[in-house]
Amino acid sequence: MLKYADNLQQLEQVLDSYIAAKTIPSLNVILEEPISYFLKKTQEITITNFDSLIPDSEKMNVMSAVYVKCSGDLHIGVLWYMLEKELKPLAKKLLPESHVNEFDKLAISSISEIGNILTASIVNAIDNDKGCKVWSSVPGFAIESLNTLLEVVMSDFGYHSDAVVVSAVEFRSLHSGIELQMLLIQDPNEVEKLVV
Amino acid sequence: MIQMNRVAEVKMGGLEIITGDKSELKTFVGSCVAICLYDIYAKVASMAHIMLPKKLNEKKQTVEEERGKYADDALMHMMDGMIQLGADPKRIQAKMAGGAAIFSHESETGLFNVGPRNISAIKQILHENNIPLVSEDTGANFGRWVKFSLNSGEMTITSNLKKTEKII
Repeated sequence: MLKYADNLQQLEQVLDSYIAAKTIPSLNVILEEPISYFLKKTQEITITNFDSLIPDSEKMNVMSAVYVKCSGDLHIGVLWYMLEKELKPLAKKLLPESHVNEFDKLAISSISEIGNILTASIVNAIDNDKGCKVWSSVPGFAIESLNTLLEVVMSDFGYHSDAVVVSAVEFRSLHSGIELQMLLIQDPNEVEKLVV
Repeated sequence: MIQMNRVAEVKMGGLEIITGDKSELKTFVGSCVAICLYDIYAKVASMAHIMLPKKLNEKKQTVEEERGKYADDALMHMMDGMIQLGADPKRIQAKMAGGAAIFSHESETGLFNVGPRNISAIKQILHENNIPLVSEDTGANFGRWVKFSLNSGEMTITSNLKKTEKII
């Protein structure tokens, strides 16, 4: 039974407005090309059923991911991920060739920074719109299966709640075709703070 | 002839106990830990997919599907359940795998890498209950498929990403 089912649609609209106003312009500047996005779904799931978020066929897909944890008036986790093979085209836009080929610390740092900037775009929108003060962590970087990445993120929320609200968004750069996925994860008890 | 499924799959935060009707326990872990307790003579084994070290709200009732969620809660349920099924507490041994630190951080704060904390909590509880930890494959930064065979007492750990298989 979804406790906050009535609010989920409203939450989706709020997130949609933040992404359109803040995240898309940020990503547009970073990639220097137009970006489209698609807010796929907002749903409440129990943490132990996190595997319902992804089809079985995608669970073992290896992804490059950045995770940023936000705390303060709201507790939010933002997982940015893309297929590992798409990481180099993204890195090429940001770094000299030598760093991309070896995919060194600087490359990881740059990718992490993108996750950080894009998360900040949402956090700032929340602050401006709702007055909620939220601080984000140092971004964490990983290359792993989607299943593993989600397990870590969901465990992180397990202390506070048995369920989470997850919003899934897909971003696509219109010239280079880079696809970036975002999962924004929230404590269901805090959803009302964003929809009031 | 009907083929029986001899593998008990353990979901995240779940816990399974097997005797002769099943021969294998299986799960997938990243930062979570797969802990197995077994009595090889009584042929009783259990596996928990532990997500977190400790229950913060001790008054909160544990639901059936999440008996393996917290290390302290899970080990108590495993021991009780195994003893009910004929295991001798003096013979119970442990093996575990998982507890990876999946996300790397420039600051190395370990802010949301719960894996190492899970490992440490489980070792502490095993020590307090005099349960020997026979072997482990823990830490590092990758997810693991974990299978435990009730017949052999072997734990097989596979990493799709690293393309490795290890028996402990």
